[in-house]
Amino acid sequence: MADIFTIVLVAAYFLGMLAIGAWASKKIKNTEDYLVAGRQLGFWVFVLLMIGTVASGMSLLGVSGLGFAAGWPTIWEEIFVPLAIGFCIIFFGVKLHNVAKTAGYVTVQDYLAHRYESPTALRTLSAVAGIIVSLIYLVGQYSAIAIVLIWLFQIPLWLALLIATLITTVYTAIGGLYAVAWASLIQSAILLIGVIIMAPIIIFYAGGFTHVNEYMASINPALVNPWNAAGAFAPPYLVSFAVLLMVGLACAPHVINNVLAIKDVKYFKWAPLVAFVAYGVVIFLLKFTGFAGAVMVKEGVFALPSVPNAGDFVILYGIQYALPVMALWAVFAVIVLAAVMSTTDRLMLTIGAMFSWDIYKKVLKPDADDKTVLLLSKIVVVLSALGTMVLAINPPQMLAILIWMGIGVMLSTFAVPLLAGLYWRGATREGALAAMALGLVSSLVFGMLNYVKANVLGINFGTIPLHFSAYSFIIAILAMVIVSYATKKTSAKVLDETQTGWYISK
Amino acid sequence: MFGLPDITVYSVCIVVVVVIAALLYWGLTFKGHD
Repeated sequence: MADIFTIVLVAAYFLGMLAIGAWASKKIKNTEDYLVAGRQLGFWVFVLLMIGTVASGMSLLGVSGLGFAAGWPTIWEEIFVPLAIGFCIIFFGVKLHNVAKTAGYVTVQDYLAHRYESPTALRTLSAVAGIIVSLIYLVGQYSAIAIVLIWLFQIPLWLALLIATLITTVYTAIGGLYAVAWASLIQSAILLIGVIIMAPIIIFYAGGFTHVNEYMASINPALVNPWNAAGAFAPPYLVSFAVLLMVGLACAPHVINNVLAIKDVKYFKWAPLVAFVAYGVVIFLLKFTGFAGAVMVKEGVFALPSVPNAGDFVILYGIQYALPVMALWAVFAVIVLAAVMSTTDRLMLTIGAMFSWDIYKKVLKPDADDKTVLLLSKIVVVLSALGTMVLAINPPQMLAILIWMGIGVMLSTFAVPLLAGLYWRGATREGALAAMALGLVSSLVFGMLNYVKANVLGINFGTIPLHFSAYSFIIAILAMVIVSYATKKTSAKVLDETQTGWYISK
Repeated sequence: MFGLPDITVYSVCIVVVVVIAALLYWGLTFKGHD
């Protein structure tokens, strides 16, 4: 399928990313430069890094795939996902940034270890949990990259995964957060401009926005309702869905660590609104493209491949139909790759940081020199990429489901210790450990039971009224409250140092 | 409107407007110093 222009364009994009990595590597003098970009990120680099980190494989393939499968009741995803950036900045970012500047945090685990006076236990549990959830999420991202490369080049899955892994790993490993942030600046700009130009063309070819909605209503009126009457996307489910996406994404380690790297806290003033509007426009357009694709498939305009995750291909086939010039497919492939890689690189760097900084430097070998920690970060980035590449060889049935599962585990594991830590002076170390451990284990169990639609103790986990993460989130809240009331409080000195209390900023 | 039931248009628009208003309020009131 691929012609010489396609190969040149995609190769140029990959080389551009590698060049950023090479440029960034010259700025790396120590671990702090590598992991938090020397705390020097400016407003636009930060905003586009946040968008790029949140905008993932789900944004292009998963969002349109879900729109294709379930229609308007899924539209709330397009509000809650962009809002996660604002939630992260407002409820976590302001305080964490302010405390991090004086306390020198490099990862969010540094905060947890300080706030809960737990330099070993909570830090280790938090880092291990962070690595597990990031790996689940990373598998979804690599699956998305593979879908695009297979579609464009008609190459085997293993080769697509190998190419994607090699490129992303090289620039992330050599350039750290400087490379990730500057790559995201370009990737997010490509994503925003590309989708704003291309999505309306697909919708136009499907007969226009009104025709798409009318046709969906004629197939099934429920497809144009704002919510379903029961089950998934019914009002109770949507409440759990809002918490899942908004809070879960906001506290995901690869997202929240970005707030430590900003140069000046005043950037937090308008970043939430700018990110919501910019990313909101794109993600709404992507959902509408999924609707348009559904209509075109029903009308027999084009057919999707007969694979289990066919819905995830809808935007690619829509482009192929509406823009029958191969060169434009290549442009679109670069847009998708940009979206996916901007999350993938941040995830790999986060895994590298959690292992080398939190587990190795802070727990296993406190006297390790900076050079060793830096080298270990790079090695872990490479290993995490290779590990998830192997896991991504068997892609999930639907990308969005796997990615939500990853976010659900993040929500259940991190939201309660972080929110309670920042705002409740009564939250204790033992409470945080219990909330994190129970949240992690219960969400992994519920997620798996939900995925295989298991029937346990008379409960059908395939048809539970809320997203599975809501149950594990509630378990984590209960664990935090009950255990905190029964255990010794954190010292007032540490609570003051970490600005703990019922306020965002004083 | 747009081939959609009114409740779909109104519910989505209301939530979007409320979110933008809240983020605007944050921007206008956040003092932005360390």
